[in-house]
Amino acid sequence: MSTVRERSVPRGAAGRGTLWPYLLIAPAVLGMLYLLLYPLARAVLISLQDFRLRQLVLGDADFVGLRNYRTLLGDPEFWEVVRRTFVFMAVEVVAIMVLSTLVALMTERLGRVARTVVLSSLVLVWAVPVVAATTVFQWLFHSEFGIVNKVLTGLGFASYEGYPWFAHGAAASGIVVVLIVWQSVPFAAITLYSALVTVPAELYESARMDGAGAARVFRSVTFPLIRPIFMLVLSLEVIWTFKAFVQIWVMTRGGPGEATTILPVYAVQTALARQRYDLGSAASMLTVLLMSGVLVLYFRQLFRQEGEQP
Amino acid sequence: MKYRSLALLSALVLSAGLAACSSSGGTSDGAGDGRTALDVWLMRDSVSAQFQKEFETGFEKAHPDIDLRIQIQEWEGIGEKVTAALAGNDAPDVIEVGNTQVAQYAQSGGLTDFSDRVGELGGGDWLEGLAEPGSYEGKQYGIPYYAANRVVIHRTDLFEKAGIDATRIRTREQWIAATRKLDGGGTQGIYLPGQNWYVLSGFVWDEGGDLAVKSGGGWKGGLDSPGALRAMDFYRQLQALGKGPKDSDEAQPPQAEVMAKGQVAQIIAVPGGAKVVEEKNPELKGKLGFFPIPGKTADRPGAVFTGGSDLVVPAVAAHQEEAFALIRELTGDAWQKKLAVAMSYVPNKTTLAGAVADDPGTAAMAAGAANGHATPNTPQWAAVEAKNPIKEYMTAVLTGEDAGSAAAEASRTITETLGSDS
Amino acid sequence: MSTPRPRPPARRTLRRLPLNAAAALTVVVCLFPVYWMVTTAFKPSTDIQSYDPRLVPGAWTFEHFRKAVGADGFALFWRNSILVTLSAVLLALLVALGAAYAVARMRWRGRRQFMLAVFVAQMAPWESLIIPIYIISRDTGMLDRLVTLTLIYFMITLPFTVVVLRGFIAGIPPELEEAAQVDGCTRAGAFRRVAFPLLAPGLMATSLFGFITAWNEFTYANFLIIKQQDSRTLPVWLSSFQSTFGTDWGATMAASTLFALPALIVFLALQRHVTAGLASGGVKG
Repeated sequence: MSTVRERSVPRGAAGRGTLWPYLLIAPAVLGMLYLLLYPLARAVLISLQDFRLRQLVLGDADFVGLRNYRTLLGDPEFWEVVRRTFVFMAVEVVAIMVLSTLVALMTERLGRVARTVVLSSLVLVWAVPVVAATTVFQWLFHSEFGIVNKVLTGLGFASYEGYPWFAHGAAASGIVVVLIVWQSVPFAAITLYSALVTVPAELYESARMDGAGAARVFRSVTFPLIRPIFMLVLSLEVIWTFKAFVQIWVMTRGGPGEATTILPVYAVQTALARQRYDLGSAASMLTVLLMSGVLVLYFRQLFRQEGEQP
Repeated sequence: MKYRSLALLSALVLSAGLAACSSSGGTSDGAGDGRTALDVWLMRDSVSAQFQKEFETGFEKAHPDIDLRIQIQEWEGIGEKVTAALAGNDAPDVIEVGNTQVAQYAQSGGLTDFSDRVGELGGGDWLEGLAEPGSYEGKQYGIPYYAANRVVIHRTDLFEKAGIDATRIRTREQWIAATRKLDGGGTQGIYLPGQNWYVLSGFVWDEGGDLAVKSGGGWKGGLDSPGALRAMDFYRQLQALGKGPKDSDEAQPPQAEVMAKGQVAQIIAVPGGAKVVEEKNPELKGKLGFFPIPGKTADRPGAVFTGGSDLVVPAVAAHQEEAFALIRELTGDAWQKKLAVAMSYVPNKTTLAGAVADDPGTAAMAAGAANGHATPNTPQWAAVEAKNPIKEYMTAVLTGEDAGSAAAEASRTITETLGSDS
Repeated sequence: MSTPRPRPPARRTLRRLPLNAAAALTVVVCLFPVYWMVTTAFKPSTDIQSYDPRLVPGAWTFEHFRKAVGADGFALFWRNSILVTLSAVLLALLVALGAAYAVARMRWRGRRQFMLAVFVAQMAPWESLIIPIYIISRDTGMLDRLVTLTLIYFMITLPFTVVVLRGFIAGIPPELEEAAQVDGCTRAGAFRRVAFPLLAPGLMATSLFGFITAWNEFTYANFLIIKQQDSRTLPVWLSSFQSTFGTDWGATMAASTLFALPALIVFLALQRHVTAGLASGGVKG
């Protein structure tokens, strides 16, 4: 590892001591190997075995090759779940990115007090335990006791008297999306805001001096500068909404019907509830593959950027 | 230098954390005085604090060599937790498990088989609704602990005002008529949430149907049988006589609390629910009565789901003999009588039913228990409950979908889940 | 923001009106569910989920807080959660800072692969890794120990921390450090004096993320802490307000409020740190 040939030594001090970078990443690499890769390998193994509660308790699982994968891929319900996962992800990510960019831009322009208030409330949202937040959303939309129905009825929409939100697939999905967006915007907005404040103020000034409008300043000055962080947040949100689990599990358990069953919910339903750990593992592996597919574009961009960087 | 203090802080916290971990690891086993530590898991609300203390003292007196350590477990995530315990190498010695859950754990091979000691425990008199689900492939893994089933809890003052005599409600027709009379003018005739599938199950059994029936080598969902459809229709009529939410179950919100705060004439719950109602609203003290769920005819109460718990011993538990000693005591006649009185349970043996005759709630429950049923006895049933297509079926029908096709679909889901071979 | 001319203050205030209105709207939308949680914690049980939901509670009570704080083991589980969470977050920050610096500032073979690995690690299906991790912990005698949870939370937060810190370090012009080095600082010294203050917002965002993720985690805490009741963490303890007759939502919401508080405090503390860092570090320069 240590005898790495430095090809074109870049400017700056980077060439000094070739051992250093490896020492610096060693703890992270070791951690990933033992705490992530090793369990992942075991999970892959499980997905290739006949592994249920009995095998978990007694050991001695049989190797069955790709049978679990064949079972999943041959199941039309699985493909329906995949489609649904992508739809949920797309809707949520677009909403999150648009809203959080607006909030970040707004926050940067606020006075000190207002800024602290906005940031604090964002953090508070983020800090609320997921279970508590989900329960509160359940209450707000409760058919008999919820304030949403009460307000809607009060506004003259009599048809919302006792309207059962969680009985209708579309309504339940809508609430799930709102909840996930609500919980995701704070992270995205705070991170984007952190990126915005590192943009030197002079750049704005000079752009404005040139007579650029707000939209143009954003497009030609601000956005290019925060682009790396923006792309980062975007791809993280893709991953997280793809993996959104707790909210849906607590709120609807994937129902009504299958209306809110996305891949991770499906995997857990299969693994923990039906105790088909083998099928659940296989579903997770497929989830990871699909997610990587979505992010291939981001990886390519990341690489190009890495290549350009000094 | 903020970062330096940060680094220092992190070092401190880390070392403190590690130290705390290793020290807590060290105290994990043994009572330290030569006695055997016996770990027992009971579920929240399965025993009162007072009963627990009394039992602990009594048991340790009778077995001076055992240090009994009862841990109360939470319902949330209990399935995973029991799984983790059974598969681990340091499991607790005795675990309380819901009667319908025993089969799946037994199937996994993680439980101790007590078939040859059933006689010693007086197994001949056990309640069928506890003993049968506690067995798997002819072997007894779960030892009946206690049972409870649903009754109608009603407001005596509201019944009086409407001029209804609760003791005379013996049939469904009388029940519906009385409830209709109670409903209206700010009072709910009955608060029945749309997804109380245990209640629906009772109606299904009344009609001669079942949730799933054995057919050939497998199981088939039975919600679409004519009897089960009639049961759902009756549920719909009853549910309409109050403001029970169509899309949630009896826990969301807790129905006892709804009864405590509102003008609710009846709920269907285990008798212990009345205590919660009184606790939340002391004004209702002495205004709550009980009667068994009415049946189709006056000579037989309505069928009910026998809920309850069994005690199991993990195969990997370190102290098998001591565990058995505990089970013998806790499921023995003396403690069973005390437990039934303290907690308003049906005792685990039919011969002990007399112990609770004085308590009106438990008496109503015991009357209903005579027509008790269990969920289909297959290890896969737990998987059905985990996703529960029955609840969704009920909501679908109550919100106006066609009962026939919704039932067919729910039955198909049940068939599939039960059929995913084990 | 089109005209560069200085404006009279009155017009400026007027112009800021939509901005402040938008800020107010954001705060309201953000906080309404939080408000509902907090007021529920103060409502008498009979007013929770009533047929007549009200925006402002009709009556107030501290009963639920008393119950939550007085519940068995509150202090103990609180301590466990703090220990596990802080250890995991600080460990992740420490490890990630080194790795992020190596990636952003140095050139070495395998850098791309490392970055890719870190990014892929983001996608780890933790819900499904629970069974293998359980098996591994069981076979190595690590069940029932808080240190196991700490390591897992460390790993859950590490990739994210590396990725974000790398972005922030890469955003700091290396010339700043080089200048400091010319002034006689060591490389580490240059990083510490010049880059570190600039990193404060990044550190804030990442540590907060780690804190909240680890603070909230339920599944692993429930599955891996089996017999040691004393080693339970707050999220697991939160579920103890559920009973056979339903959940004591008043107490749960009171507990949740107390539970969200540390995250807010951590943020406010870090925010002061950030502002101070910005002021003294001369970011704008």
